[in-house]
Amino acid sequence: MSAVAIPASPHLDFRNLMWLLAAMAFVVAPHLTRMPYWVGVFFGVVVAWRAWISWAAVHFPPRLVTVALTVAATFGTYFTYGRLFGREAAVTLLVVMSALKLLEMRTQREVALAIYLGFFLVMTNFLFSQSIPLGLYMLACVWIFIATMVGFNRIGRPASLAERLRPAGALLVQALPLMVAFFILFPRTQAPLWALPQDARGSATGLSETMSPGNISNLIKSDAIAFRVQFDGDRPPYSTLYWRGPVLVDFDGVTWSMPQVVPMLSRLDYMRQGNLTSYTVTLEPHGKVWLFGLDAPASLPPNAYVLTDLELRDRRPVAERKRYEMSSYLDYRYGEHIPVYVRQSALRFEADRNPRAIALGRQWASETSDPRAILAKALTLYNREFTYTLEPPLLDARSPYDEFLFETKKGFCEHYAGSFALLMRAAGIPARVVTGYQGGEVNPYTNELIVRQADAHAWTEIWIAGEGWLRVDPTAAVSPLRVEGGVNAALGPIGVLPSLIAADRFGVLSSIRYAWQMLNGQWNEWVLGYNMDRQRQFFGNLGFRDIDWRTLGFWLMIATFVVGGAVSIGLLVRDRPRRIEPSLAAWNRFCAKLAAAGVARAPHEGPLDFLARVRSIRPQLAQAAQDITLRYVDARYGPGASRQAMKELERRVREFRAA
Amino acid sequence: MFAELRQSIADWIFRATVPETPPVTLVQRRIFILPTRQGYVFALTLVVLLVASINYQLSLGFILTFLLASMAGVAMLHTWRNLAHLKLRPGRCDAVFAGETAHFGVTIETPALTRFAIAVRRQDEEPVYADVVAGETAAIGLPAHTRRRGVARCGRLEVFTRYPIGLFHAWSYVDFHLAVIVYPRPDPNAGTPPAQSRSASEEGIPIAGDEEFNMLRSYRAGDAPKLIAWKALAREQPLLTKEFSAMASSELWLDWEDARAADIEARLSVLAHWVLQAEQFGQSYGLRLPGTVIAPARGESHRTRCLEALALFQEPSP
Repeated sequence: MSAVAIPASPHLDFRNLMWLLAAMAFVVAPHLTRMPYWVGVFFGVVVAWRAWISWAAVHFPPRLVTVALTVAATFGTYFTYGRLFGREAAVTLLVVMSALKLLEMRTQREVALAIYLGFFLVMTNFLFSQSIPLGLYMLACVWIFIATMVGFNRIGRPASLAERLRPAGALLVQALPLMVAFFILFPRTQAPLWALPQDARGSATGLSETMSPGNISNLIKSDAIAFRVQFDGDRPPYSTLYWRGPVLVDFDGVTWSMPQVVPMLSRLDYMRQGNLTSYTVTLEPHGKVWLFGLDAPASLPPNAYVLTDLELRDRRPVAERKRYEMSSYLDYRYGEHIPVYVRQSALRFEADRNPRAIALGRQWASETSDPRAILAKALTLYNREFTYTLEPPLLDARSPYDEFLFETKKGFCEHYAGSFALLMRAAGIPARVVTGYQGGEVNPYTNELIVRQADAHAWTEIWIAGEGWLRVDPTAAVSPLRVEGGVNAALGPIGVLPSLIAADRFGVLSSIRYAWQMLNGQWNEWVLGYNMDRQRQFFGNLGFRDIDWRTLGFWLMIATFVVGGAVSIGLLVRDRPRRIEPSLAAWNRFCAKLAAAGVARAPHEGPLDFLARVRSIRPQLAQAAQDITLRYVDARYGPGASRQAMKELERRVREFRAA
Repeated sequence: MFAELRQSIADWIFRATVPETPPVTLVQRRIFILPTRQGYVFALTLVVLLVASINYQLSLGFILTFLLASMAGVAMLHTWRNLAHLKLRPGRCDAVFAGETAHFGVTIETPALTRFAIAVRRQDEEPVYADVVAGETAAIGLPAHTRRRGVARCGRLEVFTRYPIGLFHAWSYVDFHLAVIVYPRPDPNAGTPPAQSRSASEEGIPIAGDEEFNMLRSYRAGDAPKLIAWKALAREQPLLTKEFSAMASSELWLDWEDARAADIEARLSVLAHWVLQAEQFGQSYGLRLPGTVIAPARGESHRTRCLEALALFQEPSP
């Protein structure tokens, strides 16, 4: 007897509720790490409150309180981000609102809504990261959510852990084949349905339009990959690997920034050009228009162009992983003749800021008029007195370069590049700051060069009449290893980096790391990078050229039927009840043999009655018939026949001859 | 609106009202399945997730969306098979007195898999749930409040389930024509049966009142527990039953004509009370109704026969 009527308490079953709250907490946890503290506290308190309401069976908060909390959470979000839209703000709002939804949830229907909200929160996590670990973590979250659904759909005795996780796991596992078919076949589109909100996709890491002391050293702490490069021939020497990014000319005393307008370069020919190198770059999305290449570009990817300051740009912001082929002249000379306004803008500085630096530059100019001599003075200064560090002291907000040059003397590439360009301008030499990446790391398995955010760098170019723009990297004067061997070499074996990079550049861990990178590469290429082009390429390889969405839709339907049908048949055939018990089947065969010999069993006749009749009509069969009948009665109505006994019965029926 | 539509479709499909021969196995063609309201909301959620995945070009978003969509498809199969091949039989449908709650019994068995959250409900009533474990029989009693005596009919039963995740509602209809006999509500103010019962006085045996203890006789099956001589039993004597003078030898006739009351129902209530009284005191009694005479006897089955006669008086038989 196990019948129960449905319980309908607004407090919900406590165990089920705890599952739901835990699932929500798991899915929100990655968000909380990147949100202000108050969001985590708010979420935790509200969820704990809901748990307490159910546990102690106390009253729900009055409507006024939930409304007040909603308003407070909205204002909190607004004050934190200054707006309610945009990725961070919207997700914060979603997190706090889902906590409030949990608080007021009372019915099964609201539980379902909360769970669907949970699925939506899973999706928002992917806006921030689509890495393998996060993907697996979110899969676990989905599993817990479905297990929660299973728990809520049980009535009466609460489900055990296995009774929740097993059915939920079975649902997910059985859903996998169809999911894969959908993933491959669902037609992908080129452009988003509507314009992306400014910061919807992660654009947090990467170079920006400006540089002031401190912002590149923040990048350096990230070992996120910026781009990967496959060279067609041999890899050029490390010290030539300057990946050019934004060129910063405008300077206000603290911040270097990109000029508003830079003309396009109409023809890619240089005064001197040699050492042509071809390579393929796979660029991670960074939300900006620039592409990265070695100086100076010789041929361009489609849709790209070059500015007169040799900056390489795409026509659209790089919102997806982008792969392009290009080539460069590593040996080049460019810009002997520059327009006056370019020269002037490369000499401008705010006279009332950094006065000591300006005075030093002017002093050098008064001592000699040879730019190369001035350059040598500056590099000697850096080389003699300065230290390279990732943790530079804080600098004065108004004249930071003065304080850096004359007091702290500890800094990072942006300090050197910025102060050096300023000194040059003060000395009358046109100078500009170039940001980008320097160097990279070779993956021995794929022979790819991996350039990370940690390889971000800033250097300078000075203009000398008759020679054009010359690259000068003042950081190299301080720490030549930075340019020869990368950041970690520059920082020494112990290093200050928090990541794996620091500890074990050539050690045991690296092989694991490279294997992991290879897996990541495949993941990036085939899972995350599975876009319209990739889909076409995939079907092209299979022999379907120029596949369009109609064809894909057709195949999607076929696949749904085939894969879905296979799963259903597998599932339903497995637990179809056996129509006839084996002993009964054997008995029926026995009766059929007798019926063929003229002794038909009447429908009302039990086995023993039938046996008695067989005995009297066909005494010669009595022995065999009795043997079979008794075995059958034993198997069917006894405590259950062993496999052995069953076999024996079947054998005797098979050997039975009625004629 | 949707529920109505579903109902009318189902009514059209299940026109047959002949009672089904038990056991009824829920085979494939008997089972219907449609999304629940939660299922439709889930579908809407999937659309939102898909649009977000397309718009933000989130590959993992696509994976999430397709995984959930495929899972919903698989869940449909699971819901369906949670109902498939269940074997249903009519269960106990014990008679009750008017005003009590009747229970229409159904038993459910599963061939192999354990089935969780199987629900059975009568039209427009709250469902009753049970978990059906292989090798065991789940007995479900569907409560129904009874107001008047007669026959309470169960009507068509809906067997349904939404397990495992509530996105789909799989259901089947079964009609065993279950019925519960509802006895008239005994009228507690009816007093004792009139002592002048014709047969008794004609035979000249003195009627000394109900409660006058007369003699002990040996116990017979069916004697009311309160008539057992417990004290004698305590003295280690055999099981004895006390007899009272009023019931000693006479046959009591409970007569329609003697039950003075306002209307038919009130009369039946009086008679029902008398039947219970007479049975309680171990009296042998007969029942006379217009068109029906039940010869005097006593015991459980006699009592049931009398009460059924009262319940079905001028009613179509069950």
